[in-house]
Amino acid sequence: MSRDLALVWLAEAAVFTLVVAGILAERPWALGATGAAIVAAGALVRFVPRLGTTLAGAFARRRPAALGAGVVLALALPLALRSSPYWTFVATLALLYVTIGQGLNLQIGTAGVINLAGAAFAGLGGYSVGLLTVAAGWPSWLAVLVGPWVAVAVGTILFVPILKTRGHYLALVTIAFVFIFNILMNNLEFTGGPQGIKNIPTLRLLGHAFTTKPVLAGVELPSHANFYYAALVMAGLTTWVLRRLHDSWLGLALNTLRDDEIAARCCGVSITRGKLLAFSIGNFFIGLGGAFYAVMVGFVSPPDFDFGYSLVMLSVIIIGGVDSIPGVVLGACLLVPLPERFRFLHEYRLLLYGVVIVVMLLYRPQGLWPAQVRRYR
Amino acid sequence: MSVSPSLVEVAGLTVRFGGLVALDGVDVVVAEGETVGVIGPNGSGKTTFFNALTGLLVPAAGEIVFLGRRLAGLEAHAIARLGIARTFQASRLCLALSVFDNILIGMHAGRRTGVVDFVVRRGRFLGEMRTAIERVSHLLALFNGDLPRRGFERVGQLPQIDRRRVEICRALAAEPKLLLLDEPSAGMNPEETAELMRDLQIVREEMPGLSVVIIEHDMFVIEGVSQRVVAFNYGRKIAEGSFAEIAGHEEVREAYLGKEAARA
Amino acid sequence: MPPLELLLQQAWNGVMLGVMYALVAVGFTLFFGVLDVIHFSHGDIFMLGAFAGLTVLVGLKAAGLGGPLLALPLTFAASILVTGLVGVAAERVCVKPLARASPLMTLLATLSLGLVIRESVLIFYPRGADPKPFPQLLPQGGFEVGGVAIRYESLVILGIGLAAMVAVDRVINRTKMGAAIRAVAQEPEAAQMMGVNLDRTVDATFFLGSGLAAVAGILSGLYYSEIHFIMGITGGVIGFSAAAIGGLGNVYGAIVGGLLFGVLQTTAAALIPRGSEFRDVVAFAVVMLFLVFKPSGILGEKSVERV
Repeated sequence: MSRDLALVWLAEAAVFTLVVAGILAERPWALGATGAAIVAAGALVRFVPRLGTTLAGAFARRRPAALGAGVVLALALPLALRSSPYWTFVATLALLYVTIGQGLNLQIGTAGVINLAGAAFAGLGGYSVGLLTVAAGWPSWLAVLVGPWVAVAVGTILFVPILKTRGHYLALVTIAFVFIFNILMNNLEFTGGPQGIKNIPTLRLLGHAFTTKPVLAGVELPSHANFYYAALVMAGLTTWVLRRLHDSWLGLALNTLRDDEIAARCCGVSITRGKLLAFSIGNFFIGLGGAFYAVMVGFVSPPDFDFGYSLVMLSVIIIGGVDSIPGVVLGACLLVPLPERFRFLHEYRLLLYGVVIVVMLLYRPQGLWPAQVRRYR
Repeated sequence: MSVSPSLVEVAGLTVRFGGLVALDGVDVVVAEGETVGVIGPNGSGKTTFFNALTGLLVPAAGEIVFLGRRLAGLEAHAIARLGIARTFQASRLCLALSVFDNILIGMHAGRRTGVVDFVVRRGRFLGEMRTAIERVSHLLALFNGDLPRRGFERVGQLPQIDRRRVEICRALAAEPKLLLLDEPSAGMNPEETAELMRDLQIVREEMPGLSVVIIEHDMFVIEGVSQRVVAFNYGRKIAEGSFAEIAGHEEVREAYLGKEAARA
Repeated sequence: MPPLELLLQQAWNGVMLGVMYALVAVGFTLFFGVLDVIHFSHGDIFMLGAFAGLTVLVGLKAAGLGGPLLALPLTFAASILVTGLVGVAAERVCVKPLARASPLMTLLATLSLGLVIRESVLIFYPRGADPKPFPQLLPQGGFEVGGVAIRYESLVILGIGLAAMVAVDRVINRTKMGAAIRAVAQEPEAAQMMGVNLDRTVDATFFLGSGLAAVAGILSGLYYSEIHFIMGITGGVIGFSAAAIGGLGNVYGAIVGGLLFGVLQTTAAALIPRGSEFRDVVAFAVVMLFLVFKPSGILGEKSVERV
């Protein structure tokens, strides 16, 4: 079935080329050509009969090869973007949102535990790293591994509300929590107040400092590429773990608990254990994203983790697809780079996120890449 | 009467909702392998009885003893693990999930693999899941040979009668000792009801040791499957006996038809 | 332990605050009663009311009609109208279409709508990110009673707030539309069979609730002498909590809840060290505690799940 293989690799290469061209194109003719190509590709898939289903079939039959090619392309991305350290940074940010999004999706999408305090849990990860490294002198890599656990531990403060409230009440409790977190970070001395914590040392792995430019295949890349590759591993691992959790007894129990608590209870599902597990595991990955962010940019401050960011995280999930592992990846890869690319939209970013969410909920609530039925693979 | 050991003994069960007494000192005994029908007008406490049995409600007074264990104060999921399974009056399936998923959840309590297995020792988990899906397919095939083929379709796409079967399979998947069916024939036409009765017969044959308590309004079904019938009214048990005895019982007729019509 | 006068002063301030919270809370509770939804963007509607009022005031001042006797009623009227209509639009676009879907959808949709309203004000109002001074229209000065300072301004605000509440009570209990609202809140299907136009009733409810929020917004501007585009978040969270405390669906509960919240917030701020900085923290902490321990409210919520 080498035709399938060819189709899959061609499709991925095409997407990769269009994405890179879309990012880097500067001159009007380049922009025009890329735009036209993207529209043409979209029209092809949409209007040529059976092209869409043929592609989907090929991808389904050749999953390992598709995944492998995807990994290769993801590794090659910094090479393609080496002329722009800024875009390497944006790509890394997208990977952070994948990590955070998978965690949040486990809570909201899979278990139906609404959490609008995502920004606070990311902040707990970030601030922990800041405090551990700057105040306590820990090495960055250790702080990044410990930070998420702080998020998990503090999350247990919300233990009782998580269990005793649901839906709108729980949403409110989590909103209250993120505001409390923000105000406390702003007003307590040891967290640096409105200035936050500065001079967080960069990551240093096996003697390689992340501020030095890495070399790949003989080519020198911007220093941000270090973070890109680390984030790629982090996001990849996160997605891998969460997919396996989703396609398991746990995911099934969480879905049932989400859709019908009474039926779940009568099937032997402990609601307490389920919700707590989902909430804690989710907070770990949200905190991990925040922790990584801290070492990546080198400082944390209260505005970095306010309620608005909770809504951005939420939009990643809704646009990609609630309870959909690939949906989260798609959501992050769309939502993070697009406002950067269309700079004139930057001011309207949050406004557009809000509009897009409302439109999605009205017309395509399942998201761009809806959750599929479990196949236990 | 058979001398099978009693599976569940309910004594003096009382449930109150604020000032309303939904169940008032109900005594019921169910033996192993028995099928007991429960009838009574709407609001007579039948579903409340099930809810108390399965731990969804906390009784104000009375005792429930299941296989020698007192169920008072136990959580619903703990009671489920002891071997009581049920269906619901308004079908409680997860419509967005697959047919298989909706039944597999019934086997949740019996799972052997855990979070670590799901992630790192996935082979072990997948092996367990393969066996589980085979069992689920077997259960489905008992009722409708077509269904296992559709196992990975969303259950919302199935017709009503098949959805009922899925719910029953979910209850059976847990290998319970006591099965509670709450108005399984609700909303069914006569053909579907006949199929339902065949399904219940299949259940009896597949699992002879299983005790079943079935709430029904359709007397045809009650007559066809129950060995004994219990009648409720206003939260009290008003009669107990064979179907013929209950059908002729004056208080039962009064409960359904009113005093004047009952005497007619 | 601070002296009695200080506590009484805080209690008085709390009542003022509470009146404004109550007006927002009534909106939340009406919407829940009539559509079983939590309208998360209602707080931002409150903010919108304040900004609409400000815009009208600025316009009137520019036109030389800035005298309080003329400007105030006009401002209230215009803001109530505009905000009420925006509220109805929000309901038509975002709330009613999703009323049948899972509550999660409505929650997310209204939350996002709130974001849209908030960002719109930020982006489109000149220098929207800065707090905006609200003109002083009310008589200055005051008097003292038993050590408690009472400003004339506060009395007017209280008066307007109470008048609004009485007006709501009149509408709900003495008018045909009010009866329709109550009917739909209890039994939508039966109400429809009695000839109540469901759509129109829902529209009216949202107009009423949003109009009240507009009044609250302007009062807030008058009280603090400034408004800020983020005031809707806090206002919404507290307004919703107040409604929840009083029991969702229960209008009197919402009023009680609002007043209770206002008094609680100001007294706690007075008693806790560095209380004024952490005033919002106290508010939110109280919200969390209340929702956890008494979710069905003081006067009782109206929904029950059947098995």
